[in-house]
Amino acid sequence: MSAADFKDGLIAEIPNLRAFAASLSGSMQLADDLVQDTLLKAWGNAEKFQPGTSLRAWLFTILRNTYYSLYRKRGREVQDSEGTYADRLATHGNQESHLDLADFRKALAKLPEEQREVLIMVGATGLSYEETAEICGVAIGTIKSRVNRARAKLAELLSIGGVDDLGPDRRITAAVQRAGPEPVGS
Amino acid sequence: MNLMNADPPEAARAEPDDERVLDPRVQESIGRSLKAHYDDLISAPVPDRFLVLLAQLEDTERRLKAEGGSDERS
Repeated sequence: MSAADFKDGLIAEIPNLRAFAASLSGSMQLADDLVQDTLLKAWGNAEKFQPGTSLRAWLFTILRNTYYSLYRKRGREVQDSEGTYADRLATHGNQESHLDLADFRKALAKLPEEQREVLIMVGATGLSYEETAEICGVAIGTIKSRVNRARAKLAELLSIGGVDDLGPDRRITAAVQRAGPEPVGS
Repeated sequence: MNLMNADPPEAARAEPDDERVLDPRVQESIGRSLKAHYDDLISAPVPDRFLVLLAQLEDTERRLKAEGGSDERS
């Protein structure tokens, strides 16, 4: 693979790298620093990439390792001081889906990292379970387990966990009823 | 990679958390939200800094090659 081809491949993956990095770190600013580090490492290790294999999976592996070794602590600090990117992004679409997306991102940010990353990889990036398992260095069964737990947790956070109830009211109603008997302002 | 295939996919089911079976409609709803989240991020314009960076790396390599002959990327 020529340097020019490799460069074109990297450029094509930048949007995916940014999206994954933002999902992982919770911050667009951190995401871009993370993507820059990833591109530098990828370029410096280009000879280790095997043509014919997934460049996306290879780059995600680099990005993820970089995140866990260098960025995770910074990510928490940024989130603590600035809030997550969830409130600031989502600039298009109608108002309703805008709100839905903001709510979803807040819930997503509450998931444990190990669940969030696999849910994103499997559910949004087009990576297979097998590729995701390889990127994370764990068994496929572990990935499936994390995805299942992530979905269940999201359903709970978004109050759509009921088996036969997609409406948002049931859990809230139950919570209100439990809290109900307390007289207010007595 | 092949070692991982030895792990049965159903192994995860043994964990108590996974006994909760989500309604397919809930799964679909979460799947749609995931895509919306990710597609929104993916559709953001790529900052110039990345293209500039890669162009610089490529230039440096080209120069090294011109000077040093067979020097490969790095």
